[in-house]
Amino acid sequence: MRRRMALVLAAAMAAGTLAGCSGGGSTGAAGGAAKTEAPAENAAPADPSYYEVTEPITIKWWHALEDQYSGIVDQVVTDFNNSQDLITVEAEYIGSYSKLNEALVAAHAAGTGLPAITVANTPYVAEYGAGGLTENLDPYIKATGYDVEDFGNGMLEAAKYNGTQVSLPFLISTQIMYYNKDKVDEMGITLPETWADMDAFMEAGTVKAADGSTEMYATIIPGWDQWYFETFYLNQGVKIINDDQVSTDLGGEKAIEIASKIKEWCDNGYTYWTGTADDASSNMRQNFISGKALSVVHTTSLYNNYVDQVDFEVGMHWLPGAETKNQEIGGCVVLIPSKNDQATKNAAWQFMQYLVGKDVNMTWAEGTGYMPTRKSVLETEEGKAFLEKKPAFQPIFDNLDLINPRIQHKGWSQLATIWKNSMAELIMEGGDVQEAMEMMADEINDVLGDA
Amino acid sequence: MKEKQINPRKISAIKDFCCVVPALIFLAVFTYYPIVELFRISLTDWNLLNDTWNYVGLKNWKWLFAGSGTKYLWNSLRVTILYSIGELSITLIGGMIFALIFNRMTNSFAAMRAVVFMPKYVAMSSAAVVFLWILNTDSGILNYILSVFGISAVDWLGDRNTALISVLMLTGWRCIGYGMMVYLSAMMGISTDYYEAASLDGANGIQKFFKITLPMLSPTTLFLFVTTFLSSMKVFQSVDILTQGGPYRSTEVFVYNIYRYAMVDFRMDRASTVGIFFFFLLLIITVATMKISSGNVTYDS
Repeated sequence: MRRRMALVLAAAMAAGTLAGCSGGGSTGAAGGAAKTEAPAENAAPADPSYYEVTEPITIKWWHALEDQYSGIVDQVVTDFNNSQDLITVEAEYIGSYSKLNEALVAAHAAGTGLPAITVANTPYVAEYGAGGLTENLDPYIKATGYDVEDFGNGMLEAAKYNGTQVSLPFLISTQIMYYNKDKVDEMGITLPETWADMDAFMEAGTVKAADGSTEMYATIIPGWDQWYFETFYLNQGVKIINDDQVSTDLGGEKAIEIASKIKEWCDNGYTYWTGTADDASSNMRQNFISGKALSVVHTTSLYNNYVDQVDFEVGMHWLPGAETKNQEIGGCVVLIPSKNDQATKNAAWQFMQYLVGKDVNMTWAEGTGYMPTRKSVLETEEGKAFLEKKPAFQPIFDNLDLINPRIQHKGWSQLATIWKNSMAELIMEGGDVQEAMEMMADEINDVLGDA
Repeated sequence: MKEKQINPRKISAIKDFCCVVPALIFLAVFTYYPIVELFRISLTDWNLLNDTWNYVGLKNWKWLFAGSGTKYLWNSLRVTILYSIGELSITLIGGMIFALIFNRMTNSFAAMRAVVFMPKYVAMSSAAVVFLWILNTDSGILNYILSVFGISAVDWLGDRNTALISVLMLTGWRCIGYGMMVYLSAMMGISTDYYEAASLDGANGIQKFFKITLPMLSPTTLFLFVTTFLSSMKVFQSVDILTQGGPYRSTEVFVYNIYRYAMVDFRMDRASTVGIFFFFLLLIITVATMKISSGNVTYDS
């Protein structure tokens, strides 16, 4: 009897330790519910009155815009609330894009606590679209006659999943190399146009002390988000996801060569790998601001932020290409969670149109480093006026056609996590590049095959 | 006809059982049912993003023991055991040492005991944020103190060799007072007769500690061992705030590993599989601990 009691007691103790982690799993009961696919366009009512807001409603807007953007967020929300009587928007800062992603997916799985409208980092569009998290916006666009054709083509494409408009472009950026123009001019350095130019640039742009330590890095490539270094691979023909959709080329010869080259630059002190820690971004920025880095690769959205903090001229340079010179869209889209009721969705649709509208977009573009999203700005006199205010954006306007949508795959975020962690471990901890890349590729293949 | 006698012991047993029924119902609904559910989910391909799922048999178990999940399973097992050894050492050895040091019933010692125990009242999340500052490479006070002695800055949370130690620093700061208090209260319960008799026999302090105090504290040690071990196996908050399992998964303990599958990758199927494995692992370890200890614990009777 005592033995049996001891066993029961032990089981209860062990079970108690699981209480914290079993909670999430137990919600699997909801898994039996019918899948809520985004409604097909032809199944949704085409009557515009179906999408009208008829009664006062308060809705929540989740965003990931930090303190530096709070002034614009408040202004935009207040302006919208004052512009009409029925909808009151409450903006809620959830955290980083990944924190917001976790909160959104958890709320979606639970079916409660969803915001009426939310931003989402561009690579999540595919996962959300495939999982039925997002409302299909095509019927809304059609019924209300909203003009989406004015958005840049690549941007609109990045907000689609399988040809369905599941979100709209909101704050769009791309990768760029910021450089200290004063120092570049003074040192007579030629900025790299291609990957082949990088060796010479890294050597010329690095300043070393007598003891061999680095006083100024030629450039810093962020390692906390693979978005910053993936174009170096893509432009040299490496397929991050092969055409079969279940394997990667990251274990291939070219990918190993690129990783080896980056590691070599780090080992030589021309640059350092930032790693993935929380303070990696602020440390990199500080190095650029304080003159410890001649250039940094970062997002265009931080242009104003950099300019405000330095006492030298900040230039923007298109990233060095190879076979191609393509870059990718960054930033965020806005979407409406599909599990909301129709009244909430309708209010969200009204706010969404305002949020991605040309006027609000230009407020963001002028106040930050996010790009204008409208063709009617990008390709007209308005664009020229914008460039007069921000001449550093010239390389972006010159290469607009080269800014592509992100790779869309259901297993993308897992792939990205494995890639950036493996790169950090390889470069910062050392090891055999080929072995590390091949092991990483095996793991990614497993993720892609099982997504 | 002979009237059938109801055994009074049977009635008593039924009454006893009725008393524990409410607790059993709660256990069944909130503990055992989720475990059964967890096992069911481990046989599916449920991704949190999707509302529908399919049964996939033992695919997730194959992934865990003979697929890409295996190396991370062993990694988190290794990290969790290392962490548990650290927390157990701090709580048991540190707690015992502190209990011996502070075993004086005066006001000043009471105040010092309160100071040592106080961190236990601080919420783990708040304490972890404070430790983030203390351990910061560039502006943390720990590195500042080291620099005074000419020691170069250590990347406490960013270096795989020091990250787990950093998490244990926070654990030690919070738990050592708890171990001390439990041991102190147990020490109070040891009859002074034993010590007086030992003194008469000429035993010195060390002999008294090893021959009387330590054996008499063995039930307390067992209690502390089992409760600390189980709580250390489910450590999560401090890891989440300080390191998020990094760098390079060097602090990815078991529960964080489960959290990562569930809430970062949204793979509820994989998270459930690891969760079930974790449950059975703990069950086996707990049973083994109780079995081994049953012959080695001295009770004062």
